[in-house]
Amino acid sequence: MTDFQQQALQLAQQQTAPDWLQDLRAAGAERWSATPWPTRRTEHWKYTPLAPLQKTDFGGWGQAADAADIEWIDAEAPRLVFVNGRFAPALSSAELPAGVVRFADAGADQQAVIQQHLGQIVDSERHLFAALSNAWVEDGVLVHVPQGAQLASTVHIVHISTPEASATTASQRVLIVLEAQASASVVEHFASTEASQNGFVNSLTEVQVAADAEFRHSRVNLEQEDLIHVGGVHVNLGRSARMKGFTLAQGSRLKRIDYQVNHRGEGAELVLNGVYLPRNRQLVDYHTNIEHCVPHGTTSETFRGIIGDSARAVFNGRIHIHPDAQKTLAELSNKNLLTSGKAEVDTKPELEIYADDVRCAHGATVSRLDATALYYLQSRGISQAEAEVMLSFGFINELLREAPEASVQSYLRRRLGWLLGRPEPLARHLEGATS
Amino acid sequence: MSEQVESLIRSRKEYAAGFHTSIDSHTLPPGLDEDVVRFISLKKGEPEWMTEWRLKAYRAWLEMKEPNWAKVKYPPVDFQKISYYSAPKSMDDKPQSLDEVDPELLATYEKLGIPLHEQEMLAGVAVDAVFDSVSVVTTFRKKLWEAGVIFCPISEAVHEYPELVQKYLGSVVPQKDNFFAALNSAVFSDGSFVYIPKGVRCPMELSTYFRINEMNTGQFERTLIVAEEGSHVSYLEGCTAPMRDENQLHAAVVELVALDNAEIKYSTVQNWYPGDAEGKGGIYNFVTKRGICHTNAKISWTQVETGSAVTWKYPSCILKGDNSVGEFYSVALTNNYQQADTGTKMIHLGKNTRSTIIAKGISAGHSDSSYRGLVRMNPGAEGARNFTQCDSLLIGDKCGAHTFPYIESRNPSAIVEHEATTSKVSDDQLFLCQQRGLDAEKAVSMIVNGFCREVFRELPMEFAVEAGKLLEVSLEGSVG
Repeated sequence: MTDFQQQALQLAQQQTAPDWLQDLRAAGAERWSATPWPTRRTEHWKYTPLAPLQKTDFGGWGQAADAADIEWIDAEAPRLVFVNGRFAPALSSAELPAGVVRFADAGADQQAVIQQHLGQIVDSERHLFAALSNAWVEDGVLVHVPQGAQLASTVHIVHISTPEASATTASQRVLIVLEAQASASVVEHFASTEASQNGFVNSLTEVQVAADAEFRHSRVNLEQEDLIHVGGVHVNLGRSARMKGFTLAQGSRLKRIDYQVNHRGEGAELVLNGVYLPRNRQLVDYHTNIEHCVPHGTTSETFRGIIGDSARAVFNGRIHIHPDAQKTLAELSNKNLLTSGKAEVDTKPELEIYADDVRCAHGATVSRLDATALYYLQSRGISQAEAEVMLSFGFINELLREAPEASVQSYLRRRLGWLLGRPEPLARHLEGATS
Repeated sequence: MSEQVESLIRSRKEYAAGFHTSIDSHTLPPGLDEDVVRFISLKKGEPEWMTEWRLKAYRAWLEMKEPNWAKVKYPPVDFQKISYYSAPKSMDDKPQSLDEVDPELLATYEKLGIPLHEQEMLAGVAVDAVFDSVSVVTTFRKKLWEAGVIFCPISEAVHEYPELVQKYLGSVVPQKDNFFAALNSAVFSDGSFVYIPKGVRCPMELSTYFRINEMNTGQFERTLIVAEEGSHVSYLEGCTAPMRDENQLHAAVVELVALDNAEIKYSTVQNWYPGDAEGKGGIYNFVTKRGICHTNAKISWTQVETGSAVTWKYPSCILKGDNSVGEFYSVALTNNYQQADTGTKMIHLGKNTRSTIIAKGISAGHSDSSYRGLVRMNPGAEGARNFTQCDSLLIGDKCGAHTFPYIESRNPSAIVEHEATTSKVSDDQLFLCQQRGLDAEKAVSMIVNGFCREVFRELPMEFAVEAGKLLEVSLEGSVG
């Protein structure tokens, strides 16, 4: 066991979790200590060194702090806010839609739902940091929508990091259970105060979408660049279930996000779009794994990245068609723009197919902005800097406008100049840019 | 259509090259230690530096672990149960001309359709025939010599051209490169050596034909091709083995050096015994092939892989010089219980380097075929370009087709494009062909041939015909 693995176990012991979570915590701790620490030879971590975790001494758990200057994605929408992993009642909405509750406040029925699903959707043998999340679970958010019901409004779950005296850790856990024919839209927003950070956030979201249910999900990771974040979204899709997902991440010292979607019921549909925008010396690593276990599933996955300065992006998109998953349609596209001579991208779209009557395709490209397009814009009197920004914006806007929540779209467009590290020229072009 | 499939599976043709030649051989008892390495070196009468080179590789190999990242499954190979040297007795006193070669050996090659008589049909091809651990005969040496081209067994080159061998052997695939390359470096017994002098265009196609014959032996051949500035050569390689129930190991190393403005075209038609319909027997084909391109040079790999029980093979190009070009065209066909994990690596170091990868995988029966490739754009690869296309065709619902492309780009002016598709032979296409009076098998054969056309047209003419036929035979009985 490495120092960090030891430290993580000690941190788990410092927590006080309710009795009904103890089994999960023990199993998680066991799995965490039994799993060998990933190295460069571990395929899933080949391009993403975990050295930043090893090098930091995490003294303890994050503490509640004030973080009122965060710009909310939608100030009106009901939200649950956690600061450094601690629930912040002052920042959260007093009224939440029915079915949304913190683990700490869960009633007996809700506890039963949590116990039934929590830790069951994610494969913690495959995902080391999911095992850690199990070991660390103390509080979390449950979104439970009963059969045929619709979540009254979009729920925002916000996780804010603030700098602390010494490096600290935070765990963020979300469980979303949609019963048959239910529907819900959830926004996960990870943010930090502008000051430099020193924490580590381990986040895990598990989603059960039952037959004919519809799930819309947005997840934006916009923390400061010196924060370490390892997170995962793990989804089971039931028969004819639908999921529309959108994710956007800026880089940080170490930012790794896993998406795993299991087509468990026939005829499920998945649309997953993602954008990553690392710059400076940041790293973003997206690993997606779509398992088609049954016939007639559909997957459409598109990830795009703009990598600047000395940043690095890693993308690994796996589509696995099991032997019986006939009539599957699956497509994956990954396009990357390198905007600097020191930037790097490592991408690996994977197809693993064991059924013959399927149509699967993937594509990946890496290049810089198209010189012809730049020339065209410049010949129309637009400066090179502006032309670059316009084309970069166009490159990701195709995905942005597919984001399931309008509030997420407009929020990200407002902040796009900041996201691309080019505030002034971009702002002019974005005024009035609604789609 | 499933009835048709079954009847076709039953009528599957036998592996035509699966016979065994009864011939007296000197075969080293199974096992591997430093003495075996020294014995092979002694048997070849090698100079001291060569023996040391082998021992260095052997010691490195002892420290290495067998790679397990490939998507293939096979029981562990017991390297102590393999015999590392086997040569027909009749080769002891080095026959000087074709007339002195054991007629049994010649008959073997005749049966395989390999022209060892220079006046024969494929007279435009010079052949080096390697039988188990030794080279039997190399044709057209005189004619090639006149052009200044050296084409001889590598064991001979060690004596005749030691300075060339010393300079280039291991320069592209070092002894410690990987587990199987290290093993090969320690025990390689024969193979071909080709040297094309400056500005020479090799007057004919060169080819090596590998044959495994003895039981329990492994074949470890080593090929080294050096193309001097501005030269050009086209080289082909073919291979077969008898049908046996046990698995045999083939661990080869091929090194290509293309100096400034040179061009090497390397084609392989690999037809090792693939094992029977139950997956019993067959060759483990663990091969390291790599070429280095200097300024303006070009290396083109073309492979048609239809044989072997397990294939682990990644012909690669290091595009070191500016404007150099790497190409990889591959058809990998697996049937029954065959497994193939094959692809390429294109390492772009120089400016304006270009690479093209066209990989076609066809899986049938219970087989698994994977494309695994790496395209790396280093910071110096200004203006480099790569295009990759991987298509997989599935025939039957028990097989698998996988694609694992690694793309690493560190230069914004480099453009990398990768696309991959997987589908089956569509019912519509089959229906259309059958409606026009073609039977199912012929129709699939046509569709598959069309699917592979981009690769076949890269092969030298004689091989393209052979490859087409090979594909038909290998696919027989798998149509659905």
